[in-house]
Amino acid sequence: MTNHAPARVQNAAPPAPYRRAHPARRFLTQHAPALGLTLPFLILFALFGIWPVLRSLYLSFTDYDAISTPTLIGTANYSTLLADPRFVKALTNTATYMVGTSLLSTALGLLLALVFGGQRLSDQIMRACFFLPSVAGGVGLISVFKWLFSSEDFGLINTLRQWLSLDPVRFLGSPMYAVPILIALGVWGLMGYNMILFVAGLRSIPGDIYEAAAIDGANPTQRFWRITLPLLRPTLLFVLVTSMIGAFQEFFSFYFLFSDTSNVGGILDSGLSLVVYLYDLGFRHLQMGMASALAWILFLMLFALTLLNLKLGRINDID
Amino acid sequence: MVGERQHPLLSTLLRLPFYLLAVSVMIPYYWMATNAFKTIPEIVRNPPTWWVHTFTLDNFYNPGAAPGAPKDSAEFLGIFQIFANSGFGQFYLNSVLITLVTVVGSLLLASLVAYVLVKRPFPGSGVLFALLLGSMMIPWEVTIIPNFLTVRDLGWINSYQALILPGLAKAFAVFFFRQAILGIPDDLVDAARIDGAGELRIWWSVVLPMLRPALAAIAIPVMLGEWNNYLWPLLVINDDAHQTLPLALGKLAGNLTYDPRGAGPMMAASFLVSLPMVIVFLLFQRQFVQGLSSGATKG
Repeated sequence: MTNHAPARVQNAAPPAPYRRAHPARRFLTQHAPALGLTLPFLILFALFGIWPVLRSLYLSFTDYDAISTPTLIGTANYSTLLADPRFVKALTNTATYMVGTSLLSTALGLLLALVFGGQRLSDQIMRACFFLPSVAGGVGLISVFKWLFSSEDFGLINTLRQWLSLDPVRFLGSPMYAVPILIALGVWGLMGYNMILFVAGLRSIPGDIYEAAAIDGANPTQRFWRITLPLLRPTLLFVLVTSMIGAFQEFFSFYFLFSDTSNVGGILDSGLSLVVYLYDLGFRHLQMGMASALAWILFLMLFALTLLNLKLGRINDID
Repeated sequence: MVGERQHPLLSTLLRLPFYLLAVSVMIPYYWMATNAFKTIPEIVRNPPTWWVHTFTLDNFYNPGAAPGAPKDSAEFLGIFQIFANSGFGQFYLNSVLITLVTVVGSLLLASLVAYVLVKRPFPGSGVLFALLLGSMMIPWEVTIIPNFLTVRDLGWINSYQALILPGLAKAFAVFFFRQAILGIPDDLVDAARIDGAGELRIWWSVVLPMLRPALAAIAIPVMLGEWNNYLWPLLVINDDAHQTLPLALGKLAGNLTYDPRGAGPMMAASFLVSLPMVIVFLLFQRQFVQGLSSGATKG
C-alpha cells in the first residue's frame, strides 16, 4: 500500500475507517504525510522561534556572562535597568526618535499621497522618487549620510550653510543634534513608504461620496476633514502604529552614525537607542542576563503599543 | 488633491514645494552615484562639484595602486583592492546567496505549512497556528541573545547556515499565506487528490501558482530585510570569507573619519550595495506597491 492511498480515500469519502487499525497507526497513516511536509519548518521554528523565547525569559532572571553557568538572581536585572541612567537615556532617545519619526513620516506621507496620489505620469514618477529611499536606502546610503553631515570641508550640509553665511556645525559631534539627525534620516526613509499605504487607503474611498458632498456645497477643506480623514482612519492608525513599532526597534542608523570600535552610543550616549544598548550590554559587556531583561522590557512596551492600536481600532468600529 | 479638479496653474504652485522636497530626497543618491565616479581630489574639493568633471573608475579599481600599498602613498586603493584578500566580489556573492536562499526558502517553507494548516489540518494544527500567531507578537530582539548562544553552541560561528537558518521559519509569512489559501476553493484541491496527486504535488502545482501575488508581497520585505541585515551577521560572522556587504561597508565607513581618501571607495561600495535594490525596485515597482498596499487597506 502506498503512502497516499489511505489519505486519498479518507478525504474523498467520509472519515469512516475502512480497515481496523491501531489508533496510533491510523493517526500516522492519516496525518504522517501532512506532518512530514511541515517538519522542516517546525524544527526551525522550534529551534529559532520558540525555544529562544523561553530561554531569553529564563536568562532575564539570571546573571550570565555567556561562559559560566547562569545563576538565578530574581528580578535584579529589571530593577537595575530601571535605575540605570544609560537605560533611561536610551529610552528617552528611542521615545523621542519614535514620536518624531512616526508623526512626521505619517503626516508627510499623507500629504504626499494627497498631492501625488493621482494616475498621471508625473504623479507616478514623484511617487517612485519618494518611495526609493525605503527600498534602496538602508545600509548603502547611511554611510553617505555620515559624509553629508561631516564637519570636514567636504561635508555637503556645512558647505550649503557656508553659502548662506551660516557658521559650520559639528553635526555628528554635538549631542544636541544626534536625535534630530536620526529623525531626519528616519523620515527620509519612511515617508515614501507611508505615502504608498495612504495612496492605497485613499483609493478605497468611493468617489461618489465626494461628489455628493460637492453637490451639497462642501468645500475642499470640509471634504478633507469630514470625509477623507474619518474614512482613512483605519489606514491612518495602521501607518502610525507600524511606524511607531518600527522606529522603536531601530538599530542600524543609531549604531552606524554614533558608534565606533571604542564607543557605543556616541558622545554622552546622545545616539544610544534601546536596541543599541541591548547590543552593548549583551555582546560587548557580556551581560546576557541584563540584555535579556532589556529585551523583555522592550517587548512589554511594544505590546502596550499593539494593545493601544487594537483599542483605538475598536473605538473606530463603533463609529 | 486626489479626486479634485483645480486650476492647472494653482495646482502647479501647490505642488512646487513638494517638487523641491523630492529633489532633496534624491540628493543622497545623486551625491553617492556621482562621487563614486569622481577622483579623490574632486570629492574632497570645497566647494563641492555638482557633476563629474573627471570621470574615473579608480574608486572601484585603481590600476595605479598596488594591492596593499601603504596608506600614505599618493595612490589610493579601489574598493576591489581594499579587500584584496577576501574580496569585495566575495561579499557580494555572499549577500546575493544569503538573500536568495532566505527569500526562496522561507517562502517555500511557509507556504507549505500554510497549505497543510488550511487544506490538510492534523490534530494539534490549531495549537501550532496559535503558537505562530503568538510568536508574531514577540520582537526579534527577544530572540537574538539565545539564538546567538544556540548558533555558538552548535559551532556555527562563521558559517552560511548561521546566516541563513535562523531566518528561514517566518511566522508572519505563514499567516499571510494562510489568508490567501483560505480563498482557494476546496474543490480544486479535492479534484487534484482524486486525480491521484500527493500533498506535495498539490501544493507545488495547484496552490503555489495561485499564490503568486502573495508570494511577491512577502518576498519583497524578506528580501529588503535580508539585504540590509546588519546586527545578526555582525554577531555571528567575524572572519572575512563569510562577510556580507553591510559588514564590509561598516568596516569601510570606520576608516572614513580618519582618511578622506576612503570616501571614494566608500561611495563606490555604497553605489554597488544599493544598485541591486534600485534595479529590483525599477523592475518590480508594481509588485512592490501592491505588496505593501495589501497589508494596509483593510487595516
